[in-house]
Amino acid sequence: MENKINLTINGKEVTGRPGMTILEVARDNGIDIPTLCYIQDLPPIGACRLCVVEVEGSRTLVGSCHTPVAEGMAIQTHSPKVIATRKVLVELMLASHPDACLICDKANICELRRIAADLEIGLPRFRTRKHYFPVEDENTDMVRDMSKCVQCRRCVIACKSKGDEPLFGMAYRGFDSKVIHGYDQPLGSEACEDCDACIDICPSGALRKPRRAGEERAAKALIIKG
Amino acid sequence: MAGKGVITPQKDRSDLIVRLQEAQQRYGYVPEEVIRALADSLNIPVHEVYGVASFYSFLSTRPLGRNVIRVCKSLPCYLKSAEMIMEAVQKELGIGLGETTPDGRFTFQLTNCIGLCDHAPAMLINQDTHVDLTPEKIKQILKSYQ
Repeated sequence: MENKINLTINGKEVTGRPGMTILEVARDNGIDIPTLCYIQDLPPIGACRLCVVEVEGSRTLVGSCHTPVAEGMAIQTHSPKVIATRKVLVELMLASHPDACLICDKANICELRRIAADLEIGLPRFRTRKHYFPVEDENTDMVRDMSKCVQCRRCVIACKSKGDEPLFGMAYRGFDSKVIHGYDQPLGSEACEDCDACIDICPSGALRKPRRAGEERAAKALIIKG
Repeated sequence: MAGKGVITPQKDRSDLIVRLQEAQQRYGYVPEEVIRALADSLNIPVHEVYGVASFYSFLSTRPLGRNVIRVCKSLPCYLKSAEMIMEAVQKELGIGLGETTPDGRFTFQLTNCIGLCDHAPAMLINQDTHVDLTPEKIKQILKSYQ
């Protein structure tokens, strides 16, 4: 009895165990909540807010990736309010994201683009304002293009979770916020162990492997619904 | 203030902001050397110290002028024509937002609410408050800072 938590998601009765988050219970039950910063098995970040859901009795939408389930919770994961919020969030991300998809390495394997397509986001509604940072290619195994960063902080958490000296952190504030290394300096080859943990999980084209001559880059086609 | 200066070895990371404030007060900004030394002595990564130092607007990671002007940009001051005050300061000093006069006398910045809304528009110069500003008052006020 104590080990089970009963709640409803989208009107359907489901159960979870203590300590589980709303997102985990939802995914266990085949409900797809979009996420951008969440990484399974790593501590939740709660930065992207795409996983917000409506919880009955809660004044605000809550981030499902970091909110534990509680007895009797009534949750809506795809209500009009939730969908509208998610759309605006992605639209805002795109408003400061460079229009470089055509020549971006992530192009059709980009998570940000996939989520934008899933949420059926159209042409920009907001006045766009871009970041311009020089591309950092000092590291022989990683290219960092912070102009494309959406500040999900996955790389920060992934690097920190490795247990060695963490290499990334956040600096500045507001629109100027940026993932930095050290004294906001390029990440050289000597500090980084090239584990690729951050590159593999970067949802945008901000972190990538350098292009090598003759290397194939295969990717699935991106299907835009419509 | 610690007698030995800002890089007195400390083991507690909760000291970080106090140490940064000390450096700000002592040097007028937080120099890179201090940031690296603090990271070392508190045993936290440099990016974390720099992250904190660059986040707070009352800490600066670049040298500032001897006197720092901070005009309030929050709503009540805005409604009381703070923009005219900003213009007056810029015109008087011949510098733009965030800039420092070539003689190092003034740096011009904006700040969020400083709690003087009842006497808007307001500004800070260093630790001093100046309230009920008009563009005409600016010249006189700036004169008293050398």
